[in-house]
Amino acid sequence: MSARYDRAITVFSPDGHLFQVEYAQEAVKKGSTAVGIRGKDIVVLGVEKKSVAKLQEERTVRKICVLDEHVCMAFAGLTADARIVINRARVECQSHRLTVEDPVTVEYITRYIATLKQRYTQSNGRRPFGISALIVGFDYDGTPRLYQTDPSGTYHAWKANAIGRSAKTVREFLEKNYTEEAIAGDNEAIKLAIKALLEVVQSGGKNIELAIIRRNQPLKILEASEIETLVAEIEKEKEEEAEKKKQKKSS
Amino acid sequence: MATFFGEVLSVYSRAVEEEDREDEDENEEDVEIRRELEEKRTVHLKWCPEVSQAIEACSDKKLFCSHLIIAAGTNAAGFVSTFILNPARWHPVGWLALWNERNRGSGLKNSPPAPGKPGCVIYQQKEGGSVLICQCTCYVAEDQLFQWTEKLFAGLQKRGLTVTVLSDAPIAEYKTADYLHGRDVPFLCALKTSAYKEVVNSPFLEQPNIVTGLPAAVLCHCQVHGIPAVLYQNYSDVISADSITMEAYKPALTLTKSVKLEPPSTAFLQKFTRGGDVHDNLYT
Repeated sequence: MSARYDRAITVFSPDGHLFQVEYAQEAVKKGSTAVGIRGKDIVVLGVEKKSVAKLQEERTVRKICVLDEHVCMAFAGLTADARIVINRARVECQSHRLTVEDPVTVEYITRYIATLKQRYTQSNGRRPFGISALIVGFDYDGTPRLYQTDPSGTYHAWKANAIGRSAKTVREFLEKNYTEEAIAGDNEAIKLAIKALLEVVQSGGKNIELAIIRRNQPLKILEASEIETLVAEIEKEKEEEAEKKKQKKSS
Repeated sequence: MATFFGEVLSVYSRAVEEEDREDEDENEEDVEIRRELEEKRTVHLKWCPEVSQAIEACSDKKLFCSHLIIAAGTNAAGFVSTFILNPARWHPVGWLALWNERNRGSGLKNSPPAPGKPGCVIYQQKEGGSVLICQCTCYVAEDQLFQWTEKLFAGLQKRGLTVTVLSDAPIAEYKTADYLHGRDVPFLCALKTSAYKEVVNSPFLEQPNIVTGLPAAVLCHCQVHGIPAVLYQNYSDVISADSITMEAYKPALTLTKSVKLEPPSTAFLQKFTRGGDVHDNLYT
């Protein structure tokens, strides 16, 4: 039983578990879904928008944050922990620019965030950060990148991934539908992200927020109307496919 | 007290006589206070006039009931409200009024608890079926559990009665060797009395997990009196009303012929579960 091994972060259980780290991963599952797609000339981050209280300013409830002009991230999990990690990452991005006169690579800033998270899994009296992050951007050589970090401090590069509630369902969808064809163009990559989110988001396009970075361009957050247009296009394509299948069956 | 895991907890024990308790010093005033407290903590069962008449009309002054469904907890009550208790077909016919430190509101003996307020309300089908549904959303203290159960069952005939209890439980209290790679939350675990012979639609609750509180009191009563009863305990990681946790109760009643589960409207479900969500800024 885990009762004695989850009290202090620095204690291994007899079978090698660090329970606090594993519990932190459960905290991530309480956040809403975020999906990241790496296209050829574009990287896309899509998130399920949280419902905002009536008197709350919507623009202060954001899951997608800019770390530097060419890098941004989406997170899932504890809001306050995310704020701390994002602030540290932003400072590191500028510090890097000042000291080595170059913007950070996506891998560098991901490694920085992951190292920060790992440090908190090996300190006494501190608990791990309860967030997972999807970090996207372009390196200065123009290569698009997508990385994912988790509370244990591990990070990996991905072609497409999802975090948060229902991440498993979205990942399974991506595994089936992420093809060279599906990311052939910018629009296709954006539509793939929307389709992936529509698998798990209730009430469609209203609850989706999308951000894109194109090579050598700053982050753009899509307007609600643009998302609605894309959702309408996706639904039309679905109907057309269903019609085709019906015709095939009848012939 | 030593627990299963070897921890020693200090708890109050009636088996040990404490030396500083001097009963001779208890005067009339103390006795009076004690009596008033006991009276205040009495559980009262009230039926509506039609049901009271029906009970009077029976030879043994007990209501015939073929299936009693007890829903204990926010999500159990929510499940029953959204999937079964269609106001066109069900109406409240009784309630249990009680008072304790955590539940000061539902002590009204003369009027049922207001909708949305904690309480124990009993529903019956309008055309007078033999199914009763008891929704319990208030806290019943340990010392009131026995009374609650006795009073409820005292008014029902034992013959032909089957009991189903639906109860919420926090996943943090679920003990298993393989904590994290077990089942997806929420999930159901069942316990039944020896008289219950029907199919149980979920795995049984394994040791060392135990059931406490109202569901335990009901199940004990049914076991002692030979009433077929089954308890479905729903382990969930959400403490407020949640549609996914509510839907997890479906297997408990899908095979039951006495009640039909109706798919709820999304709007109704959202209204029911909206309370906690919007102000929860802890997770994004």
